[in-house]
Amino acid sequence: MLKQWMKKTYRWAQKKSLWVIHFNSGGCNGCDIEILDLLTPRYDVERLGIIAEASPRHADVLLCTGPVTKQTKDGLWQIYTQMPSPKWVVAVGSCSNTGGVFHGSDTVLGGVDKILPVDLYLPGCPCRPEAVIEGLLELQKRISEND
Amino acid sequence: MIEGLFYLLLFPGLVFQVVCGLGFEWVDRKLLALFQRRVGPPWYQPLADMIKLFGKEDLLPTQANDLIASLLPLISLSAVLTAGLYVPIAGFSPFSFEGDLIVILFLMSVPTLSYYLAGILSIGIYSVLGGGRSLLQYFSYEVPFLIALSGPAVAAGSWSVEGIMNAQFSLGSFILFQPLGFLLALIGLIGKLKRDPLDIPSAKSEVIGGSLTEYTGAKLAFWHLVMNVQAVVGIFLMINLFLGWTKFHNPAIALAVFVLEVLLITGVLSTTSAVFARLRIDQLAGFGWRILVPLSIAQLTFVILMGA
Repeated sequence: MLKQWMKKTYRWAQKKSLWVIHFNSGGCNGCDIEILDLLTPRYDVERLGIIAEASPRHADVLLCTGPVTKQTKDGLWQIYTQMPSPKWVVAVGSCSNTGGVFHGSDTVLGGVDKILPVDLYLPGCPCRPEAVIEGLLELQKRISEND
Repeated sequence: MIEGLFYLLLFPGLVFQVVCGLGFEWVDRKLLALFQRRVGPPWYQPLADMIKLFGKEDLLPTQANDLIASLLPLISLSAVLTAGLYVPIAGFSPFSFEGDLIVILFLMSVPTLSYYLAGILSIGIYSVLGGGRSLLQYFSYEVPFLIALSGPAVAAGSWSVEGIMNAQFSLGSFILFQPLGFLLALIGLIGKLKRDPLDIPSAKSEVIGGSLTEYTGAKLAFWHLVMNVQAVVGIFLMINLFLGWTKFHNPAIALAVFVLEVLLITGVLSTTSAVFARLRIDQLAGFGWRILVPLSIAQLTFVILMGA
């Protein structure tokens, strides 16, 4: 009974406090600008408990934008391994889902799922801020239902 | 025995101060959000952050010493909680004695030194930079802070916080006679709490997370708690030293006045962090030693001459 209650409280806390780190592994900056919109007064994700962190050690969610290039794949992997678990990866934008317009290029590996286990795909070129919020809310829902 | 345990663990000890710390973080973040025309976090946000951090994986770089890294936040937390025991809350101070102002100021500087050690010991380029900056900042704000806080003590003729608070009933609030000292103490407090505009050691856009860059999980949660409790104790100290008038026969009135004064100082701190941009570390060192120290010495000399 107590254990159940503690588990429930912990899931609630996880859900209500998603700290996000953002990494662009070689995109055009379009999605990055849309992600930065989340911090502005118009969208303000802090009301949902989401804040942007600068250190991967503090983060829960890795927001990836852009296709994974051969140059950045080690950096992306390092950032992911530095994050303490439980952690989630969200691929934002068409490029990070599949490689997008860069698909088949010599210097591009493809989507983020070539390197990391992706929990959520958010398509769009660029992905709108409303869609990113929708995706993070979906992630919160999955966390609270996860057992 | 039971009474002592009650004071230590519930009021004005552990539970009260932790609740106040979390409440302070929420009020601060909410005010900052309102200044920026945002909605801001809900009231349970600091609590959710804390619970989540306690459940996260505990990572450290391989060369870092895990024992010392775990001890540092605990030592700082116990130091600030002990300091909080001596600060009167709405005129209530069970452990007050002559000279407790010195003890409080000593205990309040323990977290800064631990913060420096935490940065140096966790062996990352950003944490070492943050640690060095925090020590340099400490040398810049601490001297004017101490001189400014000794102003009320000299004026009241007592080095106990309760004595200073009581002296203001007959003399009037010290903020009226030492506005400069209050301003200097406020700047020192902002430097001590590493808040905007003096958040040089933990500036996100320059040194990522400062000393705490490599910290995760429960250790990070304890560090956040240290910062919040330190802010609360600092605000209580400022109220007792400069505003006073928090002790009445009717406890309800005393509590109301006390809460009002806490909200006033919190509002001033939030406004400062919303309005001003961050200083560079060399600007702070120059500002501290060329402007703040002479001003604080002038203020103290003025107080001594007026008293004589």
